[in-house]
Amino acid sequence: MKKVILLLLLPFVILVSCAKEELGGQAVMESGSAKLVLDVTEFPLPELSDYGFFKGAMALQRPVPGVVPYAPINTLFTDHAHKFRFVWMPADVKATYNGDQELLDFPEGTVLIKTFYYDNVLPSNARRIIETRLLFKRNGQWEFADYIWNDEQTEAVLDLDGGYTPITWIDDNGTQRSANYRIPSEAECLTCHKASDVAVPIGPRPQNLNSDFTYRDGVQNQLARWTAEGYLSSSRPKNIRTVPNWKDTNVSLQDRVRAYVDINCAHCHRENSHCDYRPMRFAFHETEDPVNLGVCVPPDDPLLPQHTHIVARGSVGRSLLHYRMASTDEAVRMPLLGRTLVDEEGLALMTAWINSLQPACP
Amino acid sequence: MFKELLLGAGLISSSLIQAQNTCLTAVPLAEGTYQVQSIDGQGSPVDCLFGSPDLAEWYSFTSPVDTGVMITTNLAGLPAVDTRVQVYTGTCGALQCYASDDDGGGSLTSLVEFSAEANVTYIIVFDDNWTSTGFSFRLSLFPPPPPPVNLVDFQLVTINGLSYSMGLVDMNNDQLDDLVAPSTSNIRIGYQQANGTFQFVNIPTPAADHTASWSLCVGDLDKNGANDLMYGAGEGVTFMYANEDGTAFTERSYSEYVFCQRTNMVDLNNDGHLDGFSCHDVDANVAFINNGIDDLDFVQGGYGETCGNYGSVFTDMNNDGLMDLFVAKCGCDPEDLMMPNSTGGVFTDIAPDLGWNDSHQSWSSAWGDFDNDGDMDGFIGSSSSTVHKLMRNNGDGTFTDITNTAGANANQGQSIEWTTHDFNNDGWLDILGGAGMLVNDGDGTFTMDISVPSNGPVGDLDNDGYLDIVESGGSAHINQGTGNNWLRIQPVGAVSNSNGIGARIRVITDGLSQIRDVKSGDGFRYMSSLMAHFGLGQATTATVEINWPSGLVETLTEVAANQVLVVNEGVSTALTEPALPSLAIHPVPALDLITVSGSDVNNRPVRIFSSTGQLVRSGMVSASTVAIADLEPGIYMLEVITPKGALKRSFVKE
Repeated sequence: MKKVILLLLLPFVILVSCAKEELGGQAVMESGSAKLVLDVTEFPLPELSDYGFFKGAMALQRPVPGVVPYAPINTLFTDHAHKFRFVWMPADVKATYNGDQELLDFPEGTVLIKTFYYDNVLPSNARRIIETRLLFKRNGQWEFADYIWNDEQTEAVLDLDGGYTPITWIDDNGTQRSANYRIPSEAECLTCHKASDVAVPIGPRPQNLNSDFTYRDGVQNQLARWTAEGYLSSSRPKNIRTVPNWKDTNVSLQDRVRAYVDINCAHCHRENSHCDYRPMRFAFHETEDPVNLGVCVPPDDPLLPQHTHIVARGSVGRSLLHYRMASTDEAVRMPLLGRTLVDEEGLALMTAWINSLQPACP
Repeated sequence: MFKELLLGAGLISSSLIQAQNTCLTAVPLAEGTYQVQSIDGQGSPVDCLFGSPDLAEWYSFTSPVDTGVMITTNLAGLPAVDTRVQVYTGTCGALQCYASDDDGGGSLTSLVEFSAEANVTYIIVFDDNWTSTGFSFRLSLFPPPPPPVNLVDFQLVTINGLSYSMGLVDMNNDQLDDLVAPSTSNIRIGYQQANGTFQFVNIPTPAADHTASWSLCVGDLDKNGANDLMYGAGEGVTFMYANEDGTAFTERSYSEYVFCQRTNMVDLNNDGHLDGFSCHDVDANVAFINNGIDDLDFVQGGYGETCGNYGSVFTDMNNDGLMDLFVAKCGCDPEDLMMPNSTGGVFTDIAPDLGWNDSHQSWSSAWGDFDNDGDMDGFIGSSSSTVHKLMRNNGDGTFTDITNTAGANANQGQSIEWTTHDFNNDGWLDILGGAGMLVNDGDGTFTMDISVPSNGPVGDLDNDGYLDIVESGGSAHINQGTGNNWLRIQPVGAVSNSNGIGARIRVITDGLSQIRDVKSGDGFRYMSSLMAHFGLGQATTATVEINWPSGLVETLTEVAANQVLVVNEGVSTALTEPALPSLAIHPVPALDLITVSGSDVNNRPVRIFSSTGQLVRSGMVSASTVAIADLEPGIYMLEVITPKGALKRSFVKE
């Protein structure tokens, strides 16, 4: 009885605490403004301000016309960092639909912009933007650029060598947290952002964008908005098979887990990705089959003898997936990159799901 | 075998007893079947299985005669319960792990077998790590197994004070392997004592930017006589330099991003100084080239240019005296690299030429002379399938796949760690990894033994000449020995690097000629003993030949078995050292080029030292000349390293 109450309460807290990120990066649409023009052949530019993506103080992340904010339904856990995301495309080109679970087919010159920041950062309890990552498409290939923000939060400078930003902040629940935030090097970017060793985006798939976003001028479905902006062809199915928000407690545990691993794990555990030689297949459309989630599948590399399965029905202790999610040891933890802390909310979901599975694996 | 015996004997008695709840009141068991209502007694303070149990049930067993004991919780007709069982020796206040099992009975039940000595009490514990549900178990007896002959038998023991140790390597030059457990700001060393115990010392260090989370290797980088450490982390490399007596460390971290996998220390360019090497998971491999004075220079490129590098091993594959590189690969570009080293430390991949650039999704490989024919063979073990590859070196630059004919396909397991050692001291290298050990039969075939532990740091924990394995928790697997003789050899370099890493050591006995290349870093993660270990079978003496990286060859004859032999480069006691040949140089003084003449000096390593002893130049004698044009005017010492030794001559630069 006690356990049931806990299960009901915990996700409620999660829902309340995460609403904030989706409100970030509100677009400022100013009718009549000229659309931003950029020449992708000159990329990457030395400083973030050189692009002119933002108006006014750059730290406010107010986009100029044509720089459209978006938010995938599910996002990768990166040590609790918040993110602003924007897309920009040149004039007269647009992305096309390529399947619910496939990346949109983006046109030459597309720029995806993602800014990582924390709020309530100590000692001044202020927002601290750490980096803005760009993925831009040139000659049919995606390329990376990363801009590291200065302490004054006025400019960000191109740097793909990687680094660290120690950070301490008060989270939305009033808890003080610390992380040695890792800014990835170019090789680290590619480790997750690749398919067949070629750089790719991860998030912008129709199944992960088919949701409402609060724009400056109102709430609108993101795919509809992109079409209205001229960024997405209207030629696509009416019904998009859409991932649930993994934090939505109205959804079944199984589907929440599927949504969670889709965005946190599938970039390495799908065909032609970094770790495709292991048996898991974590993309949302592949996990209707529990075998692809590792349920009752013996691990190739059991870290301890007790780890009889990747996911052992009803037994967290025997589930290697849970052990890796709960670890911060960089040779044990999963995901390998992008976090140094445990995603406690995700781990709680995984725990509840594994405990709910019956019967025990043979 | 014993199961049939039991069924026939009809000795099974069934009884329901109230299981006791503390160690001191442990219920004595006899042969029979017992029922446990639920696990609700006091927990055990010693967990040999690395779980987190709270409660336990306690039993004991004592026999008036030596016997084999089997305990199983898998009883026909009864539900399978997810149990664990642990068997201890010692007293309730000082329990020692003796045997244990989690799932050996099948269907998550437990099955443990152990040898019980007459009149020794063994404490038996079932715990609630998985469930406190009741279950039944049976204790049965079988004749004690005969002492093992040419089989490998390990006993799990607890080492007081041992935590997770990445390394098992001599850190204080007493020829006893020590336990090494580095963490961010501390190196915990368990110094092996002559009496077989360990004295643990915590040595605080500066905070390492990068910890040994992916791998550790050890060697004396700065030739000060004390071993330094190289930490391979997920985002870079840190070196910890030991002071002269190994009691304090200074840190040198590199900011360059490296997703480290296997790290090694090896003299890549044969200049007498160890360099660092790290496999890079997501980019080209990296090296840290020792400048011979005070630092290592980061180099990326030249050691494998693509990602997916997991397990590097340095050994001389083509018998040219230089350390070659094999990289077991996985993931993004899984085709293995085989890179012979040519003069000056240039590595060239010939795997495609040999048809070796196939994908085994491998994290490590084991290299040794499995057939004792004088060249290094390779075993590339898979991490994700049971398809492994055993390649026999034909000695002519070609290899033959003998996986199936040698019976190596009997290893139906997979693992990220693969190593080779002679665990039963019979003179033939065994292969550890996957489902257990491929025990070398000495006739070109292997026999699979699945009773052995998996890989960890390998070395001699009790100085008995048999190789032991450190477990990932607080215990170790002690090799019970076979009665065979052995020899362990610690080379101490002078012109060569201090540890003699890269030395080719040959041990010749009546029946066998064996070789080892001294390595820092094998398998995937751990650091194993730097001593070259040889099993000698029944031989009582051996001839030992050391081929130093410097080119010097030393031979010691009539070396007695069963000892650790320290060989100092150029000072071999059993050898009447021949007078060094002379080295002539001209012109005197010299301006641009020095021409050297003497016995076997061309194409040999050459070094130039300043008048204050600093190394200012290293390279090779080429066309009998050494370039000196860019040296400042002054007096220098020229040193040419030949097979007869290091020849020195001072010269004046105009």
